[in-house]
Amino acid sequence: MNQTKINKYARSVSIIGVGCTPFMYTVDREETNGLTEGEMFGYAALKAMEDAGVNPQDVDFYFHGEASPLNASNYLTPNIQIANWFGMKGKASIHHSEACCTGYYAIEQAVNAVASGKYNCVLSGCVEFGDSLAVPNHPYKREKVTMEKFLQTTAWLYDRAYTRSLMAGQELIYDDAAEWYKRTRGLTDQEMDDTLNWMCINNRKNASVNPLAIERTTYEELAKEKGFDNVMDYMRSPYNPKMGDFLRAGGLELKCDGAAAVIVCATDMVDKYMGNKSHKPVEVLGIGCAALEASNPHFEVRATEEAVRQVYELTGVKPEEIDLFYANDFIITSHLISAEIAGYLPYGEGWKYICEGRTAYDGDKPINTNGGRTSFGHAHAASGLADLYEAVKQMRGEAGDGQVKFDAKTAMLRGYGGAQNICTYIIRTID
Amino acid sequence: MAIKLEKVVETFYQNLEEGKIMAKKCTKCGAVEFPPVYACNSCGCWDMEWVEISGKAKMHSIVMPAALSSKPEYKALGKFAYGEIELEEGSRFNGVVRGINKKKRKEILENNKLPVSCHAVIWQRDGYKTVVFDLDEDQ
Repeated sequence: MNQTKINKYARSVSIIGVGCTPFMYTVDREETNGLTEGEMFGYAALKAMEDAGVNPQDVDFYFHGEASPLNASNYLTPNIQIANWFGMKGKASIHHSEACCTGYYAIEQAVNAVASGKYNCVLSGCVEFGDSLAVPNHPYKREKVTMEKFLQTTAWLYDRAYTRSLMAGQELIYDDAAEWYKRTRGLTDQEMDDTLNWMCINNRKNASVNPLAIERTTYEELAKEKGFDNVMDYMRSPYNPKMGDFLRAGGLELKCDGAAAVIVCATDMVDKYMGNKSHKPVEVLGIGCAALEASNPHFEVRATEEAVRQVYELTGVKPEEIDLFYANDFIITSHLISAEIAGYLPYGEGWKYICEGRTAYDGDKPINTNGGRTSFGHAHAASGLADLYEAVKQMRGEAGDGQVKFDAKTAMLRGYGGAQNICTYIIRTID
Repeated sequence: MAIKLEKVVETFYQNLEEGKIMAKKCTKCGAVEFPPVYACNSCGCWDMEWVEISGKAKMHSIVMPAALSSKPEYKALGKFAYGEIELEEGSRFNGVVRGINKKKRKEILENNKLPVSCHAVIWQRDGYKTVVFDLDEDQ
């Protein structure tokens, strides 16, 4: 496939503030039912500004991400619909959607805007109502999205001319990566099944200590409730049915509602913007991007290889320098295969690390410390910035009960989505 | 070699109606693009010519359909699997191969028979024809 050589930024850019809502099913609870796009995005944006120590008037521009604004919000220009909510009226903005990869391209675009020199301080935020749809012609009411409607709209992710017609590309999203990993690493069916289950268990363990996560009941607790002494017996039972060739129900995203935001500025202007804030800024060292449309064999694997190659080549960072790893795992296999491709876990051995619990937040190779898409939740566009929120909190030592057990200075985040975009970046704390 | 505003997609499907499976071949490097597109993804050249493919192919990976990865209309395919297809002409893409069930997959994998040979057939969908593959009888 084609490759891209990326160049150094014209100037360094750093993350100085992050904000995130809880991920939730808004219509299910009285206190959240009726929340709007402006309220959700605005909360995350203002939390990020407060965290950074900036006033909305200090921010030059904002990026807005929402995966499916027409379908979920009845909006064509969603950045404008919410523009009065967070003190930036009159400032320019742009909307973008890369579906489930939106929250990763959110940082790519914000960094480029500052690195170019055009803007000094930029907000990038994302909002999604993945679990509900706006009721047409009503100012705030929403209704639950049905599975039928969800599948109808996700079909729009795939090329109409050929891919939908040939039938395979859109169906291979669920199991292609597992087939590839099992075949190329020589795992048995049982080993692959156990690995997929352990990723679910580890994600849930991480979410269980994260107050922003949507599902905090551990699989051990669920197993006990159903009379199982051993959690793996539960994971292999009809309570966790096979939904794909390899994939079980627990390995699928929990689609939900949420918003997240980040403030970035020129690194040499950090002192000006952060004022008396004491936390350390986090520099964006580099971002690698690739894309393979779903009709291409092993699209996730090949595009991840290319994006990872770019970011390592640009930054000179070695895989052994990565302390934390995040992967958009709405199909849970993603976090295994991308961590191995990135060299965060050794080739052919990653599945063992996972089955030994070493990738949970209290292990030596943490992955998705917030709980990932299967436990933190998947508010499609917002998930990527929610991962960045978690990574930054971990690197500051502000992750509470889910804090990793060592000093984490460098993290890699790998975004994936939109049939299929890949965006992989490395961030590092500035001492 | 002028760049043409050309109805490639309609031409592809009209050829299927006439029993021909067409691709685009790069006049510079010879790479074949299937399904057909404007420009060569191997060398970037946009001078492409129509060619009919032989239909001979190999399947490099096998994923079985399941609850998440099937649709009611796929029942008409009979037993089938998804996977990476490589045409004799070199193109690789994700496709459907008929004639594979779980038992057949097990036999193929246990005997290290990947890649297995298959061949293209034109298959009627609701309102248009498309391309699927059949496992060769000796596989």
